Amino acid sequence: MTRYQLQVNGKPHEVDVDADTPLLYVLRNDLKLNGAKFGCGLGQCGSCTVTVDRQPVMSCLLPVSMVGGRAVRTVESGGTRWVPGAVLRQAFTEEQAAQCGYCIAGMIMRATALLDHVREPTDAQIRAWMQPNLCRCGTHMRILRAVRRAADALTAAPARKKR
Amino acid sequence: MRGPARRRRYKWWLAGAVLLVLAVAAWAIMWRPALPEQTPAAPTRFDSAQVTRGANLARLGMCAACHTADLAKPFAGGLALETPFGTVYSTNITPDTSTGIGAWSEEAFTRAMRKGVARDGSLLYPAFPYNHYTKLAQDDIAALYAFFMTRPALDAPARENRMTFPFGFRPLVGFWNLLYLDESPVRQDARQSAEWNRGAYVADALAHCTACHTPRTVLGGPDIRRQFDGGEAEDWYAPALNAKSPSPLPWTHAHLNDYLRTGIAPGHAVAAGPMQDVVMSLAQADPNDVRALATYIHGYLAQAPARATPATKPGSLPAPADNDADLARMRLGHETYVMACARCHDAGRTPTSGAALPLQQAVALYDPDPRSLIHIVREGIMPPDGEPGRWMPGYATMMNDDQLTALAAYLRRYGANAEPWEDLEDSVKKAKAP
Repeated sequence: MTRYQLQVNGKPHEVDVDADTPLLYVLRNDLKLNGAKFGCGLGQCGSCTVTVDRQPVMSCLLPVSMVGGRAVRTVESGGTRWVPGAVLRQAFTEEQAAQCGYCIAGMIMRATALLDHVREPTDAQIRAWMQPNLCRCGTHMRILRAVRRAADALTAAPARKKR
Repeated sequence: MRGPARRRRYKWWLAGAVLLVLAVAAWAIMWRPALPEQTPAAPTRFDSAQVTRGANLARLGMCAACHTADLAKPFAGGLALETPFGTVYSTNITPDTSTGIGAWSEEAFTRAMRKGVARDGSLLYPAFPYNHYTKLAQDDIAALYAFFMTRPALDAPARENRMTFPFGFRPLVGFWNLLYLDESPVRQDARQSAEWNRGAYVADALAHCTACHTPRTVLGGPDIRRQFDGGEAEDWYAPALNAKSPSPLPWTHAHLNDYLRTGIAPGHAVAAGPMQDVVMSLAQADPNDVRALATYIHGYLAQAPARATPATKPGSLPAPADNDADLARMRLGHETYVMACARCHDAGRTPTSGAALPLQQAVALYDPDPRSLIHIVREGIMPPDGEPGRWMPGYATMMNDDQLTALAAYLRRYGANAEPWEDLEDSVKKAKAP
């Protein structure tokens, strides 16, 4: 067991875990942040996606010892300053993009990272970017539409224009 | 008239004549006539057996690897190929009359394949490997023509190439052709088996293996004296296929045959990077032709001397020795290995479905430069869209440059037991984001 200091959703946390514990387990078991889900444990499905320094990461693959001081953000964070979670939540609801919902936290975090970097993504960019995350219910088309809707809403929002 | 003046005038005449000769020679090297357009060939004109044969040849020639950028638009082109001379986009080779090759007669198609000249007379860039296709038998070119002329015509205009000055001036390719376009047929060797000779034809005239696996000269031509000495493709190292093969375990013919058809062979790395497209094409080609290819290539690979490498006794990779000269970095590398790689690559996993390769056997650790390893760690190994295959997640967003550099240095030292790579830090910095 080693003590690690983590920066999660803007707050410092200290955990005592084994060095090779995946970040996902730390988030769920130690920090009680259950948004990110365990899907395959192999980095193949994306239901565990969180962002680390604004990049999407499959947290089931990332050992806690490799995180260091980088900023971890989960779906519980409520989004970033430029990409508020509420906008994505509303877009996903309006497009009825969740069926069982298991993949949605990962989808939202991956989409957050995209919108954080690209102001006005094209449909092709959204499709390519969301590609690693899978939905076993088959709502991919709705999810793509939801990300499109969120991107459009953010472009239209006045706060966004001031930037 | 006085003597010196006459001599002076004579000199001018001579200089003029030399310039004229040079201009005519340059014209002859750089200019090719346009060939007349034809009305689209009706697909029924072709014999279906010929089309089927053409399909097999197109797979062996890996046409789709470059000419299909979007699987939904086969052979419509649009793939970017970065070269030292600029970025070349592959073109539409469907029989569309305005944007494809629908207006090309068989004569024009043959000239493009043999001489690298488009129907309108402009010179094609050698990113299109016509210096290989020039060696095709004429009935094979006819079969390829039949195959492409019977594909669905797609409207896809060519994208503008982005060449660095002065390479945007296509006629310059004429001089490249003068140096590197060898139109002699594939050399056949009577002492070798018929299968080997077929393999030589497939490798040289179709699969253009040397295009990536042979180093290129400064002018971008194949350095034939160093055939199969290893080259590069899209910033990946393409391993040597001869006595210089970096493979830690000797290739057997059976393994090579498996590898070419599936991308997987026991004890060898999984096909990654540009080789994935090659395997995808070969998997659909005639197994006998792929077998012949394996026979021919294995003839070269078998020249590699047996070497003592850690690959024969795979197991857990050790922690760095306490007296290691680069201890801090090796420790970070080892830690990164244990944390990120060992869960799948370490001992305890049996070679059944889903098991990862013991890293002592990974060719990328033995390559003369670290580019392929860096690409694999950063981008992972993903089967092409919609295809089955081995899968490794990419670690680009999980590892920082220090961790990746340390990991590569550690794997090189304790996985391959080889000399350190000199340009490791630079290579890590240069590796493009996925």
